[in-house]
Amino acid sequence: MKARNGKFFSRGVHFRDMKFISKDCPISRLEAPGIVSIALQQHIGKPASPVVAVGDTVKCGQLIAKADGFVSANIYSSVAGSVIAIEKRANPRGGLDTHVVIKRDETASDDFVPLEPLKEKTKETVIARIAEAGIVGMGGAGFPTSVKLSPKTPVDTLIINAAECEPYLTCDYRLMIEKTDELVQGFRLLATALGVTHIIVGVEKNKPDAVALFEKYDDLDVVLLRKRYPMGSEKHLIYCCTGRRVPPGKLPADAGCVVQNVATSYAVYEAVELNKPLFERVVTVSGQCVENPANIIVRFGTSFDYILDHCGGIKGDIGMIIDGGPMMGATMLSTNYYTRKTDSGLLLLPKTEVSLKNPTPCISCGSCARACPMHLMPMDIDFYTQAGDYVMAKERGGVLNCIECGSCAYVCPANRALVQSVQLCKQKLREMK
Amino acid sequence: MEKVIVSDSPHIRGKRTTRGIMLDVVIALLPAAVMGCVYFGVKAFLTILISVVASVATEFVYSLCLKKKPLEIVKSFDFTSVVTGLLLAMCLPSHVAWYVPLISAVFAIAVVKMLFGGTGKNIVNPAITGRIFAFIAFQSAMVSGWVAPTISALDGSVTSGATQLTSMLGGNGYSVSLADMFLGTGMAGCIGETCKLALLIGGIYLVVRKVIKWQYPVIYIVLTGFVAVCLEKFDFSYFMPSILSGGLFLGAIFMATDYVTSPNSTAGNYVYFVALGVLTAVLRKATGIEVVSFVILLMNLIVPLINAYVRPRPFGAPGFVERIRTKMAEKKAKAANKEEGGKQ
Repeated sequence: MKARNGKFFSRGVHFRDMKFISKDCPISRLEAPGIVSIALQQHIGKPASPVVAVGDTVKCGQLIAKADGFVSANIYSSVAGSVIAIEKRANPRGGLDTHVVIKRDETASDDFVPLEPLKEKTKETVIARIAEAGIVGMGGAGFPTSVKLSPKTPVDTLIINAAECEPYLTCDYRLMIEKTDELVQGFRLLATALGVTHIIVGVEKNKPDAVALFEKYDDLDVVLLRKRYPMGSEKHLIYCCTGRRVPPGKLPADAGCVVQNVATSYAVYEAVELNKPLFERVVTVSGQCVENPANIIVRFGTSFDYILDHCGGIKGDIGMIIDGGPMMGATMLSTNYYTRKTDSGLLLLPKTEVSLKNPTPCISCGSCARACPMHLMPMDIDFYTQAGDYVMAKERGGVLNCIECGSCAYVCPANRALVQSVQLCKQKLREMK
Repeated sequence: MEKVIVSDSPHIRGKRTTRGIMLDVVIALLPAAVMGCVYFGVKAFLTILISVVASVATEFVYSLCLKKKPLEIVKSFDFTSVVTGLLLAMCLPSHVAWYVPLISAVFAIAVVKMLFGGTGKNIVNPAITGRIFAFIAFQSAMVSGWVAPTISALDGSVTSGATQLTSMLGGNGYSVSLADMFLGTGMAGCIGETCKLALLIGGIYLVVRKVIKWQYPVIYIVLTGFVAVCLEKFDFSYFMPSILSGGLFLGAIFMATDYVTSPNSTAGNYVYFVALGVLTAVLRKATGIEVVSFVILLMNLIVPLINAYVRPRPFGAPGFVERIRTKMAEKKAKAANKEEGGKQ
């Protein structure tokens, strides 16, 4: 269908998207590393419980950890080899997770063991397959997709988040232009799982070639979105695509919509059509400090060191290593961490690009309130959180509505750590309950 | 491996800093300060110099008393004290003795700003409060003995004695043309407030640099003029003189828009500037003196109240009309339920 213009939300921030660095690098496959270290917590919810023991031989695509409870996800081995350790290792966010360490057997085949083919593709079987394959939201949140596809309220629209509003990241963009057909099949499968027929694809205007490709499919309602961060936020995407507003404290399903990411849709296609469990994804390696920027398919558990070596290593004056996008990702101390389902990017930024300034006192300029896409008062949240009055931060600042997009901190002239105040306040409010 | 930075998200930040914003304000104030020096001579320049140096020095000494290291103070210097000193000098008359700007500046920085916690913590505008301090403490020097500028009016005449606003409010009418009022030629007044053109250039610079929104000072200035017209029984000849006289331009563009002492939300700012405009015109008429600084001080004190009540609605929350509609629908449903219950 011909693309139509979407609505636009006020506020938010605008910056250079920096996608030109890795935009024209076709997706390539990274050779399996000698050792992978697969975290058991790659999603929101309970960590998966391991079903293999040290010394076991595993095949590629074999289940190594089973979902523990409803909000959890299965985890599969990404190489063929033997389990040499199950131990706690650091994750990029700064915590410790249990990892299953697998040594690759050079002689064994790297082809995966397929899941049992689906006999028919109905709502139930597709959802069951998505849960079985261990698919989670691959945009960064990591919420189990099967749970998201079983909303409590009736929905009538599936929205595909193809905005990719984080700067630098291009993995979704490459998928859109290289695997359009497969992606559209993924969209249709998701629609089947939801029992809806209306599929909206929201694409930012800086990806015209992707829009042109999607327009060829008659069942897709392609929406052109203006370039603005955070366009990929669920609530804003729903508003811009359908005009519906999700009330504070409610889920997208309350507005009759479910939002899914491009990378997730591709994983759904692979799981249902190719019977492939989720054990690899496309990762963007970008930034001014990478010798050869790339979009590569990486097996989970591959260390960032290995990826970086493949991309030619560091060039220039490195300032920061980021796991994910620069707005919501996490900085890493080194590249000695392991890829997970939610890692969409590995960015190496020079010192000139990143923030080095120390926070100074708030001058109540109101920039944060003008930038907040949720129309909150970040300066009040910061003030009351620093003062230890978390209840006031909730009442005055509306901290529970915050999506932690970082727009406020981006514009703050005093360089205050507004997002951290929000996170601290939310944590304290949870503890108070 | 080289050392890398580990920080909180977001990892990229905008280029704007507090120091940059304050530097922009200083730059915007320069045309008016230069014009003040041209109109009122060396005396005006000395007043500005004393005020700025005293402000910066007071902040430095106060920080030393707080046991901060000198290097640290210099590093964290953010130009707010320069802005305060400059603004304070601009709303003092040029003929005051040298100790007036000195004492006022020390008061403005030490008592109004630093005692409350320094940059960003003061509840009222230091420059305005410093001016009011001078007005009360050195009253005779502040309200009389106005000197005419060294540059005469466009038609060659030189006025002295009372400022035009005092003359107007006293019912004596105007003795200078609007062009003179706009350029400040041949008009007595405070150092920085006579040349409206210079202030306007500064204001446009601030708007272009996105330091202030153009709507705010425009609302203040236009509303003051309009309410003055209303109070004079809709005599529109009062409009231009009202907005061009006194410290209205200086107050509206530079003082009322001060970030720290104005409301945080956009809606709050509209409330604030509308109230400023109305109050200025009404109180000018009621008291017969220039009240811009007092009105701004008064509204500064009301800002916390505005912040508490005027706040944006979270994205997606029902609007005013929508809320009333849902309430009405609920009421109707209740009434219908009752009726049904009664029937049964």
